Amino acid sequence: MSESAIVAHGLTKRYGELTAVDHVEMDVARGGVFGLLGPNGAGKTTIIKLLTGLSDPTAGEATVAGFDVRRQPMHVKQNIGWVAAEVILDDDLSGWENLWLQAKLQRLSGWKERAEQLLAYFELTDRRTDRVGAYSTGMRKKMEIALALLHQPKVIFMDEPTIGLDPNVRRMLWKLIRGVNQEFGVTVLLTSHYIEEADALCDHVAIIDHGKFVATGTPAELKSRIRNDFLDIETSAPVSESQLRALPGVLEARSQGKGWILKVGSAEETLPALFAALPEHTIQRVNIEKPSLESVFIDITGKRIDQAGGDVQDFRKFYLNVRRARQ
Amino acid sequence: MTAEHRLAWWPRREGGLASDYVGQGSQFYGLYARELIKTFRNPWVLVITLVQPFMWLAFFGSSFATVSTSALDSLLHAPPGTGYLQFLLPGVLSTSMLSIGMFGSMSTIQDKRFGFMKRVLLTPTGRSTVYLSKALGSATRGMVQIPVMICAAYVFGVRFEGTPLMWAGWLLGLILLGFGFSAFFLAVTASSTDWQTPGVLSNFITMPLMFASGALFPAQNYPTWMQAIARVNPVGFSALLGRGILVSGTANWAYLGYLGIFAAIMVGVGTLVASRYLKVE
Repeated sequence: MSESAIVAHGLTKRYGELTAVDHVEMDVARGGVFGLLGPNGAGKTTIIKLLTGLSDPTAGEATVAGFDVRRQPMHVKQNIGWVAAEVILDDDLSGWENLWLQAKLQRLSGWKERAEQLLAYFELTDRRTDRVGAYSTGMRKKMEIALALLHQPKVIFMDEPTIGLDPNVRRMLWKLIRGVNQEFGVTVLLTSHYIEEADALCDHVAIIDHGKFVATGTPAELKSRIRNDFLDIETSAPVSESQLRALPGVLEARSQGKGWILKVGSAEETLPALFAALPEHTIQRVNIEKPSLESVFIDITGKRIDQAGGDVQDFRKFYLNVRRARQ
Repeated sequence: MTAEHRLAWWPRREGGLASDYVGQGSQFYGLYARELIKTFRNPWVLVITLVQPFMWLAFFGSSFATVSTSALDSLLHAPPGTGYLQFLLPGVLSTSMLSIGMFGSMSTIQDKRFGFMKRVLLTPTGRSTVYLSKALGSATRGMVQIPVMICAAYVFGVRFEGTPLMWAGWLLGLILLGFGFSAFFLAVTASSTDWQTPGVLSNFITMPLMFASGALFPAQNYPTWMQAIARVNPVGFSALLGRGILVSGTANWAYLGYLGIFAAIMVGVGTLVASRYLKVE
């Protein structure tokens, strides 16, 4: 068995004309937290589907926990846990029954002791006989992670683990994911389009856009590649590119939507000149991006993560609809 | 599912490679138990399952109440003194097996839409295991009606013929019919994620199979084209098997054999279809 938890070579998935995942190379070391960071529709979820054996790759190969995803999907599935974006549990069953079912599906014997430990770890012991439909969002999320850990998987996949959650629950989850990774020694692969999430949680990050890995490294490595600031401005009247390029310190100018993204040597140098050059009240909004994973993404793709791909709000709506449909 | 996957005649995945085989007994047990727990935990599912056959007997069975017994016997081609309820009961139980598959396939679509199917298929559980547990689960749910219906008929004053062995054979026939139709429904809706599909399908097959079966009226009164359908209609096999036993105490075991063949074909073909086409979400 290899030393890596996940290895992929030339992993590609096409749906007709659309190439959702394009020759992805991955080598995820054991025991870490690996983040796939990118906008909606970049191919993050498709990569998870390929790595978990839910979908067959069009080309390329991958091994997860030492098993080939194409030839041994059942063995892959015995060694992975999965946490969904929208919390998927059987709401009609109690917490304990959900654990029981998971134990059956994973063919476990002697699982009860571990289930008790997990319930205690996630502080769910006194709610174990209640229907999970009556749990709060945070508790449901915890229950789902407990299910994912029950069979002692080597790798856990978390697809947008904190999407649609309020900030308190999100911070609690970050702590939990870190804790799970350290205490249970399980490798975590998570997808996110939240910059701060990738920064806070991941040892390694792959930035993904249009199905391609455009940059990989530790968050610190990625940020050190950037020595520039970015100014993301929105204007009430059209501004010409040449006008912006003439400003001191401007290295590049790209239009995006109603505004521009300027790559500058330092924001402090350019900003006064920017306001001086344009008529009063032309600038409606300015975002200053100091070196961060966001500015790495902007540098490579020319877009902000939340503006590339689909609308973030759609996901939130989807999540709400799922919740509503369940009640 | 990829194009080459679709075109392959044999499911590539399950058991395709000996080195990837993972036993399915535990998963089947877990999923089947889940079906039963969910059924019996929902009081309304139970109430409707129990009340519906009773309503059949009360309303449909009473619709010939004022017709003289001798006129009814000649219309039904039944032995003297049979009465419509006795004639009807095996038919109603048979036709009710037509709709039980609908609930199984609706709950499968719900599992797909809420992502639960994905949770299951991300464990070492085969698509055919999911399929078989659903089919057997909804067949089991359908069985609940049988004792209720028989008791209800007793309350209405109906008395039956037949030996315990014959009754066991008749019940087995009903189970096979229910299992076969559940298997059929689930296979046809395997790739569907639309709530409406099972209902549409149910409406589509229920009328012809119910009326062209001899379950509610004797097939002797049908035109020849309807008799032709009745001769190959499993609902009819079950109704005629039951009627022979319950009304005249004679069992035509060939019907049980046909029902066995019907169930075997449905479950066999359905398992193949589901192992490749059962959608994840």
